[in-house]
Amino acid sequence: MAKRKRGGSRKAPAAEEPKAAPPTASDDEQPTRRRLRPEVRFLLTFIVVLGASFAFLAWKPVNDHVVEPFTGQIAKASGATLRALGQDVTRVDTMLRSPRFAVNIKNGCNGVEAMVILLAAIVAFPAPWKARLLGLVAGAVAIQLVNLVRVVALFLTGAYLPRLFDTSHTVVWQTLVILAAVLIWILWARRVTPRPVPA
Amino acid sequence: MSRKGAAARRKPHPPAARGNAEPRPQRRAWALRLARNLVITAPIAMVLWLLVSPFLSLFVVKAAERMTRLAERPSVTRIELSKGEDALISRADTRAGGRLPYGVRVTDIHFPLVLLIAIFLATPDVSAGERFANLGYALLIIMFFFIIDLFFWVKFAYATQLGAWSAAHYGPFARNFWGLGKHVLDLPVKLALPFAMWAAFYLRELTGELFGEADR
Repeated sequence: MAKRKRGGSRKAPAAEEPKAAPPTASDDEQPTRRRLRPEVRFLLTFIVVLGASFAFLAWKPVNDHVVEPFTGQIAKASGATLRALGQDVTRVDTMLRSPRFAVNIKNGCNGVEAMVILLAAIVAFPAPWKARLLGLVAGAVAIQLVNLVRVVALFLTGAYLPRLFDTSHTVVWQTLVILAAVLIWILWARRVTPRPVPA
Repeated sequence: MSRKGAAARRKPHPPAARGNAEPRPQRRAWALRLARNLVITAPIAMVLWLLVSPFLSLFVVKAAERMTRLAERPSVTRIELSKGEDALISRADTRAGGRLPYGVRVTDIHFPLVLLIAIFLATPDVSAGERFANLGYALLIIMFFFIIDLFFWVKFAYATQLGAWSAAHYGPFARNFWGLGKHVLDLPVKLALPFAMWAAFYLRELTGELFGEADR
């Protein structure tokens, strides 16, 4: 396999050098012009991208012309899956209705938040842009698959175990979808972390 | 806790896992062990959360009430816990045309605790002492966040949800400020905070040599 470009877009040479020399006395005596710690750099970028992305998605034209139709497609896919499972479901926009139960898929239940968290974490992590793009696409698809399972499971919970719906909706599935995003990011980050060069 | 102290207390890594020598399959195994641990810690965290939820709700409600009353003259806001999970916001000076009390589900605010506990406890290759110390710091931060989040809910309700009363007491800037603040805190920040704190504590564990000793 071809040797991968180390560190992607990172510019700091010290961080790209896998075999950094141990600090010497002269290093210690140098004036303290320190770079940001990697964690701080990661968190700052993460917060900025997260904030900018949510602000963009909360903008009414984007919400009306992108997020709402996207949520409608999620409702469509969920309705088709529920019908394949034998449920008598009809869909109106973002609402799924059956004789037993009805749900309206809103922001917060469409997986977009998890996708944006994944986007911010991927952009904040030092990696080549191609790897970032691949991670984003694969991660978004995986998150939407988990979200499809969530919507279908919640609909069935509401229809057959209504007492468990609230807890399942708020705690169980929100946690699982965010955990899925976090796990996808962790697996991606481990994969794109540069391979050490043998000494 | 200093980073040096934390590093010293870490479980020793196997020789191949140290610094640059860590081979790729082993590094990937770290992530897989994290995923496997999550299968165990997530249900534990959920049960813990269900057990402490009524007390946590009461704490968040009373702390947010105190914070709101500190920020107003005269102090008229009351927040009561109803059914162990709903915060009922009211004011001593008005019922705002019957729109008060305004209800907010407190469990919706503090459920990210499940995610936080699960992911902090699931992290591999960390000693129990460091694991619980880091979890403790993260819990302190997230508790403060829960109180701030409910505080923003209260102000959001006052500024935008009480019809003519809101319009008479809050201008366009204030309505946008509290509305946007509530939206940002209650969706992206609430959902991302456990992960962000985990990354702050464990990014080096995840990335190995990329953020290795040279950066310390």
